[in-house]
Amino acid sequence: MPIQGRKVAIVGMGGAFPDCADLAVFDKKIFTGQSLIREWPKAVEFQKQIRSTVSGYIDDNDLGLEPIYYVEGYDWPETFVDTLGRIPDINLSTADLGSVWAMLGSLESIRMAGWTKTETQSERTGVVIASGGAGNVIMRHAWHAFFEFGKKSRLAGSHTVDRTMSYREAANVSCLIKNKGVCESITSACATGLGNIGYAYRLIKFGLQDRAVAGGVEGTSIETFIGFDAMQVLSKGFSPAESSRPFDTSRNGFVCSFGAGIVALEEYEMAKARGATILAVIDEYFNNSDGDGNMFYPSYDGQRRLWQGLMAGAEIKPDVVKVHGTATPVGDIIELISVVDTLGEDGYHISAPKSQFGHMLGAAGSVELITALLMLKNQQVPPCLNSDTLNHEQEKFQQKDGWAGSQKPAEAYRHLIPQETVTKEINQVVCLNYGFGGTNSAMAISKDN
Amino acid sequence: MVNERQEIIDGLIEVLRTVRTVDPALLENVTEETDFLTDMSMPSTELINIAAKVEQKFDVEFEDDDIDELGSTVKDVVDLILKAKARGVA
Repeated sequence: MPIQGRKVAIVGMGGAFPDCADLAVFDKKIFTGQSLIREWPKAVEFQKQIRSTVSGYIDDNDLGLEPIYYVEGYDWPETFVDTLGRIPDINLSTADLGSVWAMLGSLESIRMAGWTKTETQSERTGVVIASGGAGNVIMRHAWHAFFEFGKKSRLAGSHTVDRTMSYREAANVSCLIKNKGVCESITSACATGLGNIGYAYRLIKFGLQDRAVAGGVEGTSIETFIGFDAMQVLSKGFSPAESSRPFDTSRNGFVCSFGAGIVALEEYEMAKARGATILAVIDEYFNNSDGDGNMFYPSYDGQRRLWQGLMAGAEIKPDVVKVHGTATPVGDIIELISVVDTLGEDGYHISAPKSQFGHMLGAAGSVELITALLMLKNQQVPPCLNSDTLNHEQEKFQQKDGWAGSQKPAEAYRHLIPQETVTKEINQVVCLNYGFGGTNSAMAISKDN
Repeated sequence: MVNERQEIIDGLIEVLRTVRTVDPALLENVTEETDFLTDMSMPSTELINIAAKVEQKFDVEFEDDDIDELGSTVKDVVDLILKAKARGVA
């Protein structure tokens, strides 16, 4: 249970962001309204086999990484070289690309936090990081060599397990920073990024840990991409920068992207006592499930209960609601209405950063939380790109019997969704993320007063 | 046969240069007595990767039993390659 009066601060952040060399570039591009979405050559290669070819993808070069390929004919990196010397080779040898990003983000977060080696390596420091997908890239090639080429199992190499296991990112980060506390992964599809940070928050709030490195990752994977492409849920038919269109009437799917977002959490009084810069205080975290038996369809009822749970534990009066906002036909407006029915029709803005960088799946919640931290720092709300036209008519679900939410069309809430960067006083941001299986997560963060 | 053994060692060193966990400086004075685990500080999990790469490099296939009993010196690997080559010829 939570310990009364014990608070949790966010004291560091880092990660891997599409079309950005580092966090500073990400910060600049987001708040100057740029899109990080590009035509993805890897997807274009497959021509008519694939529907969607746009992505917020990351160039290895941008992050100072160089893949080393196994042998000729095997298009998979045996390992990566860190040309900037941040991660030792022994740690790189056990890491898939997403785990490398997790390690880079963790090192950056710890450096920003200013933790000593003793603090980082303490029994009171945990690692809670996960990704949404499996180690698909490594598995495909390992399996292909065995099943299709009939090769010995050893041709897959001795690192197939550590580079594909479900908690590979947490394991790799823990082996790198040598913490002695918790090392776990919490997975919940596209709510994974926020869910891991929420779980780490509870570890500290409940008195089980004093510090945690936490976040979500989604390593580049055409294998992951085609899974969603097959479902026909990816955006199609727009130029890259116009592909992610939350709330817009012409939206037809999300943009599948990749990245990593890691934060450093610390018990508030300890962080204050050592003079740390407090990026934000976590007011509350709450998660639940739709409970309607539907794997995919978003639930207004589930989201309303999510808000109620969040509000039961803390004073919630956000200046910005950072929504999940994927730009899928149904999800956006159900979410918009659940927000409006909870908070009213004025007094806050809605931010949908996927409009700028797409949907990073397991990394979405954590990279978007970092975006919210930057909103607190900059006192600005980034624009919701491509939200050009909002429906002036009711959605079909609003006309169904039993619909309990607002009857107004999306256009009635145009004023909540900025199309340009807005500068204003921001003291609290609520972050929302959902995942397949009907899982819902919410976190409220505030400026330190 | 000395030349053949030296050629195999040279090929083995080429393979080792592609293994990132091996310090390139340690590859300057490799002999048959060099031990991968103690002299090169190599994690034991890398040995199987080297065996798989050596199979590719020399176009041979080792028996599982031979791999299970493989020692950790350069000599052990050279002997294994020669054994596999001989079997291949036969």
